[in-house]
Amino acid sequence: MNTLDGLIYGLGVATQPVVLFYCFFGVFLGTFIGVLPGVGALAAISLLLPITFYMPPEAALVMLAGVYYGAQYGGSIASILLRLPGTPQSAVTALEGYPLARQGKAGAALFVAMSSSFIGSILGIAILVLFAPLLAQIGTKFGAAEYFSMMLLGLVAASTVGSEAPAKAMAMVVVGMILGCVGADVNSGALRFTFGQTELLDGVNLVALAMGLFGISEVISNVRTSGARKVEEKVGPKDLLRERRQLKRVKFSILRGTGLGAFFGALPGTGGTIATFLSYAVERKVSRHPEEFGKGAVEGIAGPESANNSAAITAFIPTLTLGIPGDVIMALMLGAMIIHGVQPGPLMLVERPEMFWGLIASFGIGNLFLIVLNLPLIGIWVALLRIPFSYLYPAITVFVCLGVYSVRGSAFDVMSVVFIGAFGYIMALMRFNPALLLLGFVLGPLIETNLRRALLLSRGDLLVFFERPISAVFLSATILLIGWGVFTSLRKIRRPVRQEAGE
Amino acid sequence: MKSTRTLGAGMGLVLALGAITGPAAAQDDWPSEPIHFIIGYPAGSSPDTMGRIVAEGLEASLGQPVVIENKPGAGGAIGVQTMLQGDPAYTFGITTNGPMTTSPKLIPDLTYTVEEDIAPIALIGTSPLILTLNSDAEADTLEDFIAWAKSAPGEITYGSIGQGSGSHLTTELFAATAGVEMLHIPFASFAEVTNSILGQEINAAFMAPSGALAQFKAGNLKILGISSAESSPLAPDVPPIAGTAGMPDDFRAELWIAAIGNSETSPEIIEKLNAEIDAVLATDEAKEKMLAIGWQAQGGSTADLAERIEKDTGVWGAVLEKAGLLPN
Repeated sequence: MNTLDGLIYGLGVATQPVVLFYCFFGVFLGTFIGVLPGVGALAAISLLLPITFYMPPEAALVMLAGVYYGAQYGGSIASILLRLPGTPQSAVTALEGYPLARQGKAGAALFVAMSSSFIGSILGIAILVLFAPLLAQIGTKFGAAEYFSMMLLGLVAASTVGSEAPAKAMAMVVVGMILGCVGADVNSGALRFTFGQTELLDGVNLVALAMGLFGISEVISNVRTSGARKVEEKVGPKDLLRERRQLKRVKFSILRGTGLGAFFGALPGTGGTIATFLSYAVERKVSRHPEEFGKGAVEGIAGPESANNSAAITAFIPTLTLGIPGDVIMALMLGAMIIHGVQPGPLMLVERPEMFWGLIASFGIGNLFLIVLNLPLIGIWVALLRIPFSYLYPAITVFVCLGVYSVRGSAFDVMSVVFIGAFGYIMALMRFNPALLLLGFVLGPLIETNLRRALLLSRGDLLVFFERPISAVFLSATILLIGWGVFTSLRKIRRPVRQEAGE
Repeated sequence: MKSTRTLGAGMGLVLALGAITGPAAAQDDWPSEPIHFIIGYPAGSSPDTMGRIVAEGLEASLGQPVVIENKPGAGGAIGVQTMLQGDPAYTFGITTNGPMTTSPKLIPDLTYTVEEDIAPIALIGTSPLILTLNSDAEADTLEDFIAWAKSAPGEITYGSIGQGSGSHLTTELFAATAGVEMLHIPFASFAEVTNSILGQEINAAFMAPSGALAQFKAGNLKILGISSAESSPLAPDVPPIAGTAGMPDDFRAELWIAAIGNSETSPEIIEKLNAEIDAVLATDEAKEKMLAIGWQAQGGSTADLAERIEKDTGVWGAVLEKAGLLPN
């Protein structure tokens, strides 16, 4: 069966009324789950999974996948409107989206986010269909050395994310990496910074960290400043039509973001996170108005959102074609498929073509549902901001606690979100960028594990990072990037001198 | 004053009577309220799915809802700790072999000891591991592999899903029994191990049957043997390691999932649950569902489970000590 036949066959499967219904239900639920702070796709899929035992397999898997990518859309809504990102990816969206919302341009920010998500997803599906075998092959070429070098590049590139002093950015990344060390060390099994708490054996809860640093700290600072902000007038269809010109401005940002997302998303690991941060860094570098970044540059929403969503699609490549899930959510999807008698992996395309192509075709249909569902809803989402703060902020706090609890049913995590929130508020007062802390937290442990794993495999030979070609390319890019950073900051120091000389 | 005191004494008597008659009454009409299963693993994981299959059967036979609570963390130990905080007559745990055998040795901060706090209820299922090699490896059989390992001590690299995990300890047990030495490369999940073995980065790994067989059928890796004592219905064509290539006949390494209770749970309740779980596990429906996710339904008496816990604690404890994994 060639690709075109497969897609047509898949469309046949995905347009069966029952599958279509569950696809719509999945993306609809996913959007709302994504909007709820902290209740991510992971919690939603694990709660739904037992219910799907009683459904036809196609419908069940299409629905669960819909919840997954639907939640990516929803996640950006809460980050933009309320600065409540549930994942490191949507924390990047909050960087530009939230300032826009505070200026009363929430509608524009949401419109750009939705459109970029949609375009990123559709292009991601095209890439999945055309290049899945190729990308899967590249995935297996990635060993410990390659992951180390790639994540180092991601970390260095993304450290330029904020507009603050480089020393402050570094400090946040390092604090994040230290927090990431908490728990049982993969290489030695030793317990680090657990202080006798069994709850800390698996590390600090990522959702608690994100919710504390962003959500709770924002609530505290709004309580303190009485939360004065511009509230937007009603957003109608005409206003959205007017926003179309924004898309012209960001069309290349979307293409760049999609490319980054599709590539990194296909690699098992934290591809989506790296792609999102990289996309933001790239947009800031190529922008003709870098001074707008941090104050509401739409490019900084469009790039990362398209990266995030195309990565969410291509993350299915290693799961479906190799049986290797890239992250915990994909592992759960894989588990769901096995429970439904589908073994993802190299034989899935031969043994269960209806599942493979049906699922892929449903991605396209689901994304159409999402854009049709979400564009009219923008007005309603923006209206959320008109809720008086005396109701809104207590409600947010309750939802944050519920969301954090939903991850693994741990009261310890709910307590920790309070402390992290207080810490986050102090950092915000001192103008530190919490997104970088999250990045360090996610990438730090992976960089360490892969560094040590690569050295174990090479018996301690450091040259391994330069001998393996893919790793060498990433390392060279990292060195170039650092060199460029040094060069531009030197030029900044010299320029005033030259101007004075010219006068 | 006097009347108050009499009332107080009367209440004391009622309470004391309640305390005496309470457990007996609880046994006669047990269960009279919903039962809670605390599972120390996330929804969708093997122990969770196995626990739910058992719970579904129990709901039908006991006539009370069985509420599943997932409390993942610390390799399942958080779930055991949470279970011990609940009402002993209505709160039970679904655990894997880890928290019952190796975790107390590896994690000094655990608040329970297996001997004093846990009442074994029933062995639910077992899963063997399959020894796999990457497709480029210079060995096709177990004999080749052991010979290769003996000729190059410490050269062969093998992956596992973490220090002290089942796949790590199984490989160490295998190496110690075969008299070979290999280099351990820890990963976080079977997904990472599979990626590494497919990319020819590591040489060998003990992997879960379903994943290993799918890759084997696609020609992505080689299979040498299975760690169960006999060949398993999960992989009928894969020969057991025991008894081949000079390995002893009693070589056996299996992961297992079991139902456990609190040592304060009354023995009558434990026995009743054991019988009911056994009945559920004997149904074809439960067997098929478990086999589909890579597990073989078991059953047996509470004493069987207690014996398995004791035996495995000894075997794995020795492996941990030999591998130098015990914290100081």
